[in-house]
Amino acid sequence: MDELRQQIKDLMVNELMLQMTAEEIGNETPIFSPEGLGLDSVDALQLVVALEKKFGLKFPDAETARNVLRCVDTIAAAVPAAE
Amino acid sequence: MSRSILITGANGGLGIGISQTFLQESPENHLWLGVRSNRDAAADLQSLHPDRVHLIELDVTSAISWDLAVETILATNKSMDVLINNAGHHDDQLLAMMTDDSWHKVIDSNLTGTFNGCRAVARTMMGQRRGRIINIASLSALLSPPGQANYAAAKAGVVGLTQSFAKEVARAGVTVNCLCPGYIDTPALSAMNPEQRQAATAKVPMRRLGRPEDVAAAAVFLASENAGYITGSVLKIDGGIF
Repeated sequence: MDELRQQIKDLMVNELMLQMTAEEIGNETPIFSPEGLGLDSVDALQLVVALEKKFGLKFPDAETARNVLRCVDTIAAAVPAAE
Repeated sequence: MSRSILITGANGGLGIGISQTFLQESPENHLWLGVRSNRDAAADLQSLHPDRVHLIELDVTSAISWDLAVETILATNKSMDVLINNAGHHDDQLLAMMTDDSWHKVIDSNLTGTFNGCRAVARTMMGQRRGRIINIASLSALLSPPGQANYAAAKAGVVGLTQSFAKEVARAGVTVNCLCPGYIDTPALSAMNPEQRQAATAKVPMRRLGRPEDVAAAAVFLASENAGYITGSVLKIDGGIF
């Protein structure tokens, strides 16, 4: 699971061109809150596309996306379920 | 590197001109010509370049038709590199006399068609982290001539859509730009009588009508690697009218 979390953080840094390292992202750091990473809806779409491509995750609706894209932990939890 | 290039409205004068220019630009360019019932000119081009030109049935107003077209292209070429949203038509009438049918058809073919196309390729291009979308708007979007409320509104919508969408996909390596041709000498202008044609030419500071290849050259440039930092731009190709 730690390896998966690391892969997700690396993907976020690389795909979203974040000005931070993967190590600076906590497992429970909110992705879209200003208190967390502060990403926006454009980042969200890019993240969805990247997660679909790398992990085969599917986001059939906005509600699913909101629930999964809360933090690294919630994304990691969704990956095995999608496989 | 091989590129798959989808051009809608490919049977028209501008579509054919753009297609020919991409064919001349590189032997690596593989063209998918979106056509409907009128396809003679596109079929002629295909017969000349059977290895690099494919005809594909595409109703730009139908999201399902778009999905099928993109699926077909990806199954063959494995990538979706360039989309030229060129399909559209005009039906000029004064607004006070304009029918609902005229309004809706012009909005559908020009604006909804462009929206459908952008949406159909968005995720694929973002996943590839590269892509070029060129929307063919019109000088009418900027000049709003009388008698073209439907067309001017649709094309102004294409400009707005282009700039908004460009911001959404910029960081994914996808560029979205639009071209605003002025008077281009295509069969679509054949409805003009000689006097109207002369009057149109007189409005152009360069004193000539545009040629399809004038527009095509801009499309080829915006689709190139060299145009990688250009997105959300609105490029007039009008001989200096504005």
